Amino acid sequence: MTKAVRPMVGVVDYQAGNIQSIVNALDHLGAQARRVSIPEELRGLSHLVLPGVGAFGFCASRLRSSGLLDDLARWTLVDRLPLLGICVGMQLLADSSDELGHQTGLGWGGGRVRKLETDSRQIRVPHVGWNTVIFEEDFGEYRSGDSADFYFDHSYAYDAPTVAHRVAHCSHGRLFCAVIRRANVVAAQFHPEKSQSAGMQFLRSFLELRRDA
Amino acid sequence: MLKKRLIPKLLIKHRPMGRSVRPVLVTTRSFSDAQDVGDPISQAKIYEAQLADELAVLNIDGTPIAGDEVMLDLIERLAEETFMPLCVGGGVRTIEDFGTLLNRGADKVSINAAALASPQLIGDAAGRYGAQCVVVSIDFRRDEYSRWMVMRDHAALSGGRELLDWAREAVARGAGELLLCDADRDGSGGGLNWQAGQQVAAAVPVPVVLSGGCGRAEHFVEGFKLGGAEGVAAGTFFCFRDQNPMQTRAHIRNAGVPIRMET
Repeated sequence: MTKAVRPMVGVVDYQAGNIQSIVNALDHLGAQARRVSIPEELRGLSHLVLPGVGAFGFCASRLRSSGLLDDLARWTLVDRLPLLGICVGMQLLADSSDELGHQTGLGWGGGRVRKLETDSRQIRVPHVGWNTVIFEEDFGEYRSGDSADFYFDHSYAYDAPTVAHRVAHCSHGRLFCAVIRRANVVAAQFHPEKSQSAGMQFLRSFLELRRDA
Repeated sequence: MLKKRLIPKLLIKHRPMGRSVRPVLVTTRSFSDAQDVGDPISQAKIYEAQLADELAVLNIDGTPIAGDEVMLDLIERLAEETFMPLCVGGGVRTIEDFGTLLNRGADKVSINAAALASPQLIGDAAGRYGAQCVVVSIDFRRDEYSRWMVMRDHAALSGGRELLDWAREAVARGAGELLLCDADRDGSGGGLNWQAGQQVAAAVPVPVVLSGGCGRAEHFVEGFKLGGAEGVAAGTFFCFRDQNPMQTRAHIRNAGVPIRMET
């Protein structure tokens, strides 16, 4: 940590997937990490992570019934504090997703989520495994042009859309956004908490974000 | 581009030790002759240091995972001490088991006997958790007519399912990945059944992981290049062999297979 103050990171626990691995990874980095399952637990935090494992519809409905949405909206849109969406957590931040018809996302990250297509027996879906992510912009410890392999496990992904929000891309059949950033909202399609040292570097880079003035 | 995966298998048995029960790492030969080889957590950390792309953790006692604190605690500790993808299977029976395992740190959950008994479970789990969390594990061997037949509870059912047929059905129902294991080759070191892999891989659009029989680095290459595998899982190979894992990776890479070479 370059700053004197240790980041206090909340991991939103809305009963949709593995919180512990992210808490573990953040602990490993020297941050203070804890679960957030009620609004009061947001107090005093400097960063927030929105994980997500599961089908979009299932996660969206769990998030809606978590009682946290209003406070998450305030954190993100009013207080403009750093928020990191991971995997389905990233997709929930989109404007919309094509999973099971057409579903509306929170819209905080913008963009559209579409299914990855197989076009041959070389491109299989779900996209599972380590793939190369190419950074197009500086982000934390990454410089534009850097690349790193991260672990992916998903069938849906952001279109490579509004270039303004695309920090890094990956390719599997088509180009898709691996990392997006819209001011204080960052999101990754891969699992940094499962991507060994590459993932740690990515999480460290997120932790370098401070409050958006 | 997407790299191929080397996936160490951790085969786990429950061992009573004094007043408690501990999870112990074993290797098998044709799914029997389990030999203790040590502590799963220590071995997992070694694998992680050796660049394992993913870990497959299988409760081979097959006892129901629900309420199995020995296994669940193991998964939680693995997720605490390593930062790599975990696929967990053995004794998974219900959709609640999926949730339990995913919450403890698994990224993917593998079902075998339960899927054969109630194929509906595949679609239910994929619907809630997404296909990417649902692995259908298929053990098979040749029957007396030389057909590849699916095994259930470590025995080939007479009049049972053919491998290709079940593989197609599992995927049609929502499986996001197939894990194939040739029972006759398990622990043999004689090479993967890449022929079976090739047929299954040609028949489904999801990733296929092959397992059973790796004895040399070249076997992995066969699995990837001839067998259409996205991943190769190996138990005995990584436990006992003198193979240096980085040399194995280098051999695979030199054969033209895209694979991670550094963290």
